[in-house]
Amino acid sequence: MDHGEETILELDRIVKKYRTKAFLFGARGQEVIALNEISIKVTRGEIFGLVGESGSGKTTAGRLIVRLEQPGEGKIYLDDHDITSLKGKASKAYSRRVQMIFQDPYQSLNPQLSIFDTISEPLIIHKIGNTKAKEDAVWQTMKSIGLSPPHDFAHRYPHQLSGGQRQRVAIARAMVLNPEFVVADEPTSMLDASMSAQIFNILLEMRKKLNVSFLFITHSLAAARYLCDRIAVIYRGNVVEVGPGDEVIENPKHPYTQALIDALPKFRYSGDKKRYQTLIRAERRVPEHAGCPFFSRCKRADPIKCSREKPPLMRLGDSHSVACFYAEPGIKTSSGDNA
Amino acid sequence: MALLEVENLTIGYQSQKGFLKAVEGVSFSLDKGRSFGFVGESGCGKTTLGMALMRLLPPNGRIEGGRIFFDGKDLLEKTDEEMRKVRWQEIAMIFQAAMNALNPVHRVIDQITEAIHTHTPSHNKDEVYEQVRALFKFVGLPEDRMRDYPHQYSGGMKQRAIIAMALACRPKLIIADEPTTALDVIVQDQILEETKSLQREFGISIIYISHDISIVADICHDIGVMYAGQLVEYGAREEVFDNPVHHYTEALLSSYPTLTGEKSQLMPIPGEAPNLINPPFGCRFSDRCTEARVSCRSNPPVWLEITPKHKVFCHQCGKHCGE
Amino acid sequence: MSEESIDKKPLQKFRWISRFHAGWAVFKQSLLGKIGLTLLTFFALMALCSFIPPLVNPMYQPMAGVDPEISTVTGPSMRHWLGTDFMGRDLLSQLLAGARIAFMVGVSAAFMSVFLGTTVGMIAGYMGKFVDTFLMRLADIVMVMPALVVLLMLAALFGQLNIWFIVFFIALFRWPGVSRVIRAQTLSLKHRPFIEAARVAGASHLRIIFRHIMPNVLPLSFLYMTFQVTSAIIIEAALAFLGFGDPRTVSWGMMLQWVWKTGNMFKAPYWLLPPGICISLITLSFYMLGRAMDEVLDPRLRKEWETG
Repeated sequence: MDHGEETILELDRIVKKYRTKAFLFGARGQEVIALNEISIKVTRGEIFGLVGESGSGKTTAGRLIVRLEQPGEGKIYLDDHDITSLKGKASKAYSRRVQMIFQDPYQSLNPQLSIFDTISEPLIIHKIGNTKAKEDAVWQTMKSIGLSPPHDFAHRYPHQLSGGQRQRVAIARAMVLNPEFVVADEPTSMLDASMSAQIFNILLEMRKKLNVSFLFITHSLAAARYLCDRIAVIYRGNVVEVGPGDEVIENPKHPYTQALIDALPKFRYSGDKKRYQTLIRAERRVPEHAGCPFFSRCKRADPIKCSREKPPLMRLGDSHSVACFYAEPGIKTSSGDNA
Repeated sequence: MALLEVENLTIGYQSQKGFLKAVEGVSFSLDKGRSFGFVGESGCGKTTLGMALMRLLPPNGRIEGGRIFFDGKDLLEKTDEEMRKVRWQEIAMIFQAAMNALNPVHRVIDQITEAIHTHTPSHNKDEVYEQVRALFKFVGLPEDRMRDYPHQYSGGMKQRAIIAMALACRPKLIIADEPTTALDVIVQDQILEETKSLQREFGISIIYISHDISIVADICHDIGVMYAGQLVEYGAREEVFDNPVHHYTEALLSSYPTLTGEKSQLMPIPGEAPNLINPPFGCRFSDRCTEARVSCRSNPPVWLEITPKHKVFCHQCGKHCGE
Repeated sequence: MSEESIDKKPLQKFRWISRFHAGWAVFKQSLLGKIGLTLLTFFALMALCSFIPPLVNPMYQPMAGVDPEISTVTGPSMRHWLGTDFMGRDLLSQLLAGARIAFMVGVSAAFMSVFLGTTVGMIAGYMGKFVDTFLMRLADIVMVMPALVVLLMLAALFGQLNIWFIVFFIALFRWPGVSRVIRAQTLSLKHRPFIEAARVAGASHLRIIFRHIMPNVLPLSFLYMTFQVTSAIIIEAALAFLGFGDPRTVSWGMMLQWVWKTGNMFKAPYWLLPPGICISLITLSFYMLGRAMDEVLDPRLRKEWETG
């Protein structure tokens, strides 16, 4: 795929912290670090996968990009412009270029608005074209998403559509402004396999026809493999591995990525043997926020180095980076292979 | 003799728009110590089937026909009182999103204790405590967390607690309906491993209901594929997955992205599932099937045998049975 | 292309109609709703008919009617179906006029208080923080004030109060209750993904409140309107009974005041009972309507009859 090397979106050492509310009986509000200095670069026209489990911070990253929340530290760049603290008109102009597809098709559409109203809403907000132009834009978007014939759907309400159809409406709403960058936050996790497949194919087509760049947030490595040009694996707020999709999946270097692949049920029954076995059975106790985030579960970890120093992303091969001191084979830890 | 033998089970719901036939004519059997997985998309009837086996249908649900033989006795002939004895002691169920089934104001240990106590009131307090301790150990929950409240548990821990509760009375059969959907991949894997070792150690039979084929393929001996309320293919897992015959099974398999192997384009299944209030008379998959013939729409399909352990509900099995 | 524009309007109207039909189907199943609606229809007819007696004969005027032959309290007769009051005025026409006043006061006051309460509730719920705290403390202060007592004081200060003044003040005292409920609803809506989607699309706060939150909150507002009507009617009746109503209007409360003041409470049951019963019944019927509407608007019920 010829994308050109232009970076469309960049997250530069983003930090996001939350303070949990204090319970009445017990612990005071704790500080949770959702994103711990993450940096990501997405090329124009690329589908970039952000893969992680719940609590990894992947959704938070997406929300920061569409400015539903503000980062504590760090900067976000769209097309080399610093958009971290935009306000007012500039913020509104930003929303024309960057959009989001939400996870839950049952909650992301206003139940009181018809499909036509929902899709035309962004056009109305940004005062694009007259009534007729708006109508045409809506029809065209609906057709390209597969909601055909458009006027069949236009006057229906969300509860009259299936989950897959609703999600397509959500995509239409995101695409009607012709954005340059779209954050897709687990768009298929609430859909059946067949509907998910449709959505994937729609995203691929959007990228092909309009050269839109996507940040595809998911917990499914298999989906990421299918859709994404590059994949970043995120664990507890840290990017632990980044690289071309196929490379990360066939040749994972970080023990967490390897554990994820081990854990996936294999399609054809392939025996009990795990390929990488990088997890230890019981978690180690570890001081908060120090050292490698994966230290508490890592078989390969060095008890001294890994508990004190946080490994930075180190370039391994051709655009494949890993945040692990012992990622390369042949490097022994001081403790050998003991857990 | 099989532990569970279901014959021609038909279940429906009374809704405002009419009578919805959620499950029609499902038959299968499950031996002791084996696991059977039901796979299908939402609306195919698999959850209804699971609930019906425990006779836990909502008030507007009715079992219209068929028999459920559990341990030789027909469950449909039992009174409510008799069913209550069967539930939990002989058949336990893990519902979808079961983690929300934990009462937030009671300690976890109390809830499990209560479950045991309700069904085996004869055991004294110490015996029950020991049982709970053993259960915790078995499902991999740390003992020092026994006296915690549910909100102090993570998602995976809550699910393990639910499994412990289901095991509490040593049932012969566990029906698990999407027990790991809300969990992360690594936790899910651990729980599936534990489920497999549960089976080996206690010889419990499991019915596993899921929309995710890969999980079902991983832990079940036999698989049943459901579509629009009917069983369309069933057999040993290797046979069904390596050699899918029914066109829906094939289509379902090709709509999942895979981690290994060739990256071919995902083929979504065109069209929509039929309305179950007025299902078509012929094959219910015919209007979405790429190989459908005219006869498929007008005549209901029949059961064809591919191998003695692999059967398909279709008019044509093509190359698979040398027709 | 232009055909599609033409298609749009009729289908949209159709939507409201189909929603109404669906709501009606649920409503019909509620016994309370049916009784309430029947009673209300009856009272509405009463209100409509209130214009008839004076047209038949000027002596049937509720306030100014003078029967040349009767000038005291009399019982029901052919001339006066319910009898006459202490000035010889026809009681039935007074009762009918009272129905009109009840609806007017009830509905206007309810509408105003719900309008105010909904707006405040939405703004407080959506803006949060300082605005929310300020508005809710204001609501608390108003809610704690004894409405009747304050109105009485005002009446004592300014003499007899005009009926619209009364309506306005009832609304002013009743909005906090509505605003609390609407605020709670707004809070739960605020974090729903479709609101976030609107924010991501670039919508301003005002647009989100009125285009996205309000339509979802209005059903609840309408529901509360029915409850507010009952309290408005009772407050007006109480005021009138205590002698602080608008002397130029005939309401049921006013009728009760006259019965009491002229010492006829135990002597003229045909005068005492009808307005009392009417007040009770009309408030009851609005309440029943509200309860039935609750079932109609309950989202859990809604899913059952709107999908599939």
